[in-house]
Amino acid sequence: MRADIISTVEFNYSGDLLATGDKGGRVVIFQREQENKGRAHSRGEYNVYSTFQSHEPEFDYLKSLEIEEKINKIRWLPQQNAAHFLLSTNDKTIKLWKISERDKRAEGYNLKDEDGRLRDPFRITALRVPILKPMDLMVEASPRRIFANAHTYHINSISVNSDHETYLSADDLRINLWHLEITDRSFNIVDIKPANMEELTEVITAAEFHPHQCNVFVYSSSKGTIRLCDMRSSALCDRHAKFFEEPEDPSSRSFFSEIISSISDVKFSHSGRYMMTRDYLSVKVWDLNMEGRPVETHQVHEYLRSKLCSLYENDCIFDKFECCWNGSDSAIMTGSYNNFFRMFDRNTRRDVTLEASRENSKPRASLKPRKVCTGGKRKKDEISVDSLDFNKKILHTAWHPMESIIAVAATNNLYIFQDKIN
Amino acid sequence: MEFKLEAHRIVSISLGKIYNSRVQRGGIKLHKNLLVSLVLRSARQVYLSDPCPGLYLAGPTGTPAVPPPQQPGEPVAGPPSGWGEPPPPAGRAAWPEPEPQPQRPMVCHTPGAGSSEPVTSVAGAGDALRGGETDSAAAAWSRVERPRAAASGSGSDTCPEGPRAVRRSCGCPPAREEQPVGDGSPAPPAPCPRKRGAAGVGGGRAGCPAPGSTPLKKPRRNSEEQPSTTDEDTDEEMETGNVANLISIFGSSFSGLLRKSPAGGREEEEAEESGPEAAEPGQICCDKPVLRDMSPWSTAIVAF
Repeated sequence: MRADIISTVEFNYSGDLLATGDKGGRVVIFQREQENKGRAHSRGEYNVYSTFQSHEPEFDYLKSLEIEEKINKIRWLPQQNAAHFLLSTNDKTIKLWKISERDKRAEGYNLKDEDGRLRDPFRITALRVPILKPMDLMVEASPRRIFANAHTYHINSISVNSDHETYLSADDLRINLWHLEITDRSFNIVDIKPANMEELTEVITAAEFHPHQCNVFVYSSSKGTIRLCDMRSSALCDRHAKFFEEPEDPSSRSFFSEIISSISDVKFSHSGRYMMTRDYLSVKVWDLNMEGRPVETHQVHEYLRSKLCSLYENDCIFDKFECCWNGSDSAIMTGSYNNFFRMFDRNTRRDVTLEASRENSKPRASLKPRKVCTGGKRKKDEISVDSLDFNKKILHTAWHPMESIIAVAATNNLYIFQDKIN
Repeated sequence: MEFKLEAHRIVSISLGKIYNSRVQRGGIKLHKNLLVSLVLRSARQVYLSDPCPGLYLAGPTGTPAVPPPQQPGEPVAGPPSGWGEPPPPAGRAAWPEPEPQPQRPMVCHTPGAGSSEPVTSVAGAGDALRGGETDSAAAAWSRVERPRAAASGSGSDTCPEGPRAVRRSCGCPPAREEQPVGDGSPAPPAPCPRKRGAAGVGGGRAGCPAPGSTPLKKPRRNSEEQPSTTDEDTDEEMETGNVANLISIFGSSFSGLLRKSPAGGREEEEAEESGPEAAEPGQICCDKPVLRDMSPWSTAIVAF
């Protein structure tokens, strides 16, 4: 596995910063350049702002297990001062990083030379006040908190609460609540581990706090269900407040029905009225007030339904695709194979398939919609299902919180697309 | 018929995945393994519900399977010795007949690299398997515990099982009771060498040998011999020895899958071993009479 394969992508609250994590445990942050005031329609480009090693491989000696350094999730904290804070997590440990700029340097110390060597006090004959001099911008990342040893299973999600003081972390069987200031203890708020592991039927696959209600969070399961929990009701939220499940279509049952119904991502809309779930073949939008079925279902790559056995063999059926909303919740986006990604406009009910590849992405050129030929005669420019490259998968995408800018991670490449507004 | 073949193929793929997951970096992925076990269960249900006598062929005496080698220094936890060692040949009867003989199922495709690979890597990577499997000190402790329990329970690790092999008479349950913590590692199969022929990890109450089974002596094997492909005839012959080894390794971890009868529905879906955390060692406890009539290959599937 190449260490530079991107494993998570996340815009910060303003959209000026874009963080990516990779399998090698590194975090790379891009910053949007200030727009040129002279040109009204110029768009700032994203350039590398900071790079740091967030997690290293570890070895659990007690269990003889290696802990991967791969960054599973990055979540930004809302900005409160000049510095930026983000949470990054691997399978076991969450870290709070402070990213700060330094563009001034003090010069003229009395007790030490410019290169840091201490001066002999007896040689000091005069005192001076150090002055601040500008220097080349340096962006420093420093770990401020390390939240460790709270998860027996692999962490799949972290989510910052709207109170900006707490956050949750979820692994396969448990969800913990942390305070950002306190690292030596966390509260377990969901525990679905059965007394007898042989009775295990489902695991937690994703969890997220409600964007506005600081007492509400949801978690999805491998069985295709979502539970909404209210932390006010009890300390341990094993009993859900709401339970979202769509009845299974018995006609589509196969060996792999259970796998493809497993939810790989759940995201609240910005409004907090809806949530979206991604399973292997589709994206579903749920109204929080309706538990019986989703209000929208969008097929991402239904043509794969007949290929599930092959996808099981090559492990692609276990790929965990993420999904995201645009700033106004009018559109949703998710990835697919062959470096394709799909966008669905909820208002017009239109969808489009686009490709993130170097050949098709000339700067300033528009992306051409792609089409997969599902059978019969293949038209020009269409791609047949059998020609799809299943190694080129887009699992992680992010949408700027306010503007029409998207970030798409294709293996080890990051694509940033902007929508031209004439 | 093709459902059965498809199910068979899916079972072997799934077993390979579960095996590979043990040597993957980062530890066992609970989610993925749970999903694979669900597929296994579905495939098993299809396989068992689609009786197809023509699938089974009375073959020669079967393949000496390769039991995973002992890890040096590891407590002798009763390796699955004699796994795949066929009982003395008796009448070759077509399935389904309750016989103390392992039936040699015929498959309509060559297992090829698919099935042979896991076995060789089993033989070769048994150490890695063991090493990666131990989740905790309790696991190691339970491995030590087990042979004692096994010894006291059944009195021998050469306790035989017929092809029905529905009982695990190795004293595992007592061992299990002694270890509420459980270990969840693949070590549990190791101390239960009662698997005979090709995959007789049937369930059953502790200490109840399969009725009518012929006692078999199961010599311990430490060699890394390759599973000899059945010398004879058809390339359609399936190497159940490979399956036998895989099952011996995974056996206990999948015991839960046998709780319910094949038609039992989904209420109680079992999972294989947990990730880092210890799981109770499984007890195969399917004592449906149907198992008695099944070929080793079907029994293998039932085991999962």
